[in-house]
Formats: sequence, C-alpha cells, structure tokens
Amino acid sequence: MNSVGEGCTDLKREYDQCFNRWFAEKFLKGDRSEDPCTEMFKKYQSCVQKAIKEKDIPIDGVEFMGPNKEKPGS
Amino acid sequence: MKIWASEHIFNHPWETVIKAAMQKYPNPMNPSVIGVDVLDRQVDTQGRLHSHRLLSTEWGLPSIAKSISFTNMVSVDERLVYRPHPQDPEKTVLTQEALISVKGVSLSSYLEGLMANTISTNASKGREAMEWVIHRLNAEIEELAATARGSIRVPMAAAVTEK
Repeated sequence: MNSVGEGCTDLKREYDQCFNRWFAEKFLKGDRSEDPCTEMFKKYQSCVQKAIKEKDIPIDGVEFMGPNKEKPGS
Repeated sequence: MKIWASEHIFNHPWETVIKAAMQKYPNPMNPSVIGVDVLDRQVDTQGRLHSHRLLSTEWGLPSIAKSISFTNMVSVDERLVYRPHPQDPEKTVLTQEALISVKGVSLSSYLEGLMANTISTNASKGREAMEWVIHRLNAEIEELAATARGSIRVPMAAAVTEK
C-alpha cells in the first residue's frame, strides 16, 4: 500500500511492519510495554505531514466522529 | 441523521478480525483505495488504542461531479464497531452505521434512498474484503508454521545419520 506522499511509501511500509508486529504480539495480548515503533513513526510522520501540506489536503477543518461523539444536527 | 445501519457476523474470532481491519488495504474489492496513512496514533490512559488514518481514494469522477459535491457539502460518516460475539468467542459481530450531514441543503428521500443503496453495496464489498484479508493473514501464519516444522526436522535427521 502506498502513502499519500510518494516519497514516504518506504518509511510507511517500514513503520507498518513494526506496528503490525507490535499490535499482534504485544498490544492484543495485553502487553503494555513500550511501543518499539516510535522513532520509525516520527520519521514517517514528518514525511507525511509535509506531503499533506504540499498537496493542500484539508485535514484540519474536518470533524471526525469519536467513539461517543454525535454529529451536530443529527 | 442516520440513513443506514446493519449487523453482520464473521465466523472468526475478534483478534483475527481486528488484525484484518488494521490491514484492510490493499485488497481486490477496493481498488479505489490507493493510499493509507496514519496521521496520529496513541494508547490512552484507559489502554485504548486510537488511530487516526487518512485514506486516499481515486474514484475517477468527472470534475463536474466533484465540484457539485463540494458545493453542497454533503458528508457521510461511517461507524463500524467490531465486538466479540457475546455467546460465541469464535465469532465477531460487526455493527455498521452511516450518518449523513448536509450543509444548507435538505436531501430528498429519493436521494437518501440512493445513498443508502450505495452504502449497503459498499458494506457487502467491505465484508468480502475483510474475509479476503483474514484468509491471507491465516495463510501467512500457516506458511510460517510449516516452515518452522520443516527446519526443525532437518537437524534431527542429520543427528540420526551422524550416529
């Protein structure tokens, strides 16, 4: 799977691999020890945030539904 | 307002389903999804994982259709909840709903009906996609296990012939 930022795809895949392993082997088994992916995530993030700004993708103005949040006017 | 809701049961345990949900893309049922990015992710003080993701899609819409939807500011939010089946731990219940919010335009019931149909069709595709991902993940696990069995057998055979 690609990233929205073409140059970020490799960083994304590296991070995804780390996350999927941590998610399956630690998080889902109740292990709350430290997440080994934080450094990788930071690198990936700085790339993606830059790409989003460059492509003018409007993520800030959009409201997201939280687990207990009702949409206004519903 | 809520325009569509459904419940579906997967014949797989919750852990399997949730791993598939996290790795849902790419899959052959959703070719329009061309990118997935994590914008933020953290575990809260109650141990819940929150992931904020951006899905990039390419629908191939003609530009006039795109400009119409942005002008009318129609937004559809979907909420999917996967829960272990209350009676059967080998099953998972998915409850899904679509909420629509419109700015300044009141939707005719016909249009609502059209959207509900599209959402329902997409939901079936989405469940098919989940089954595909689950199948792939299970096959990977099987392959790893078979490889492990194979590599244990070889040193034992060598030890026997050495005697």
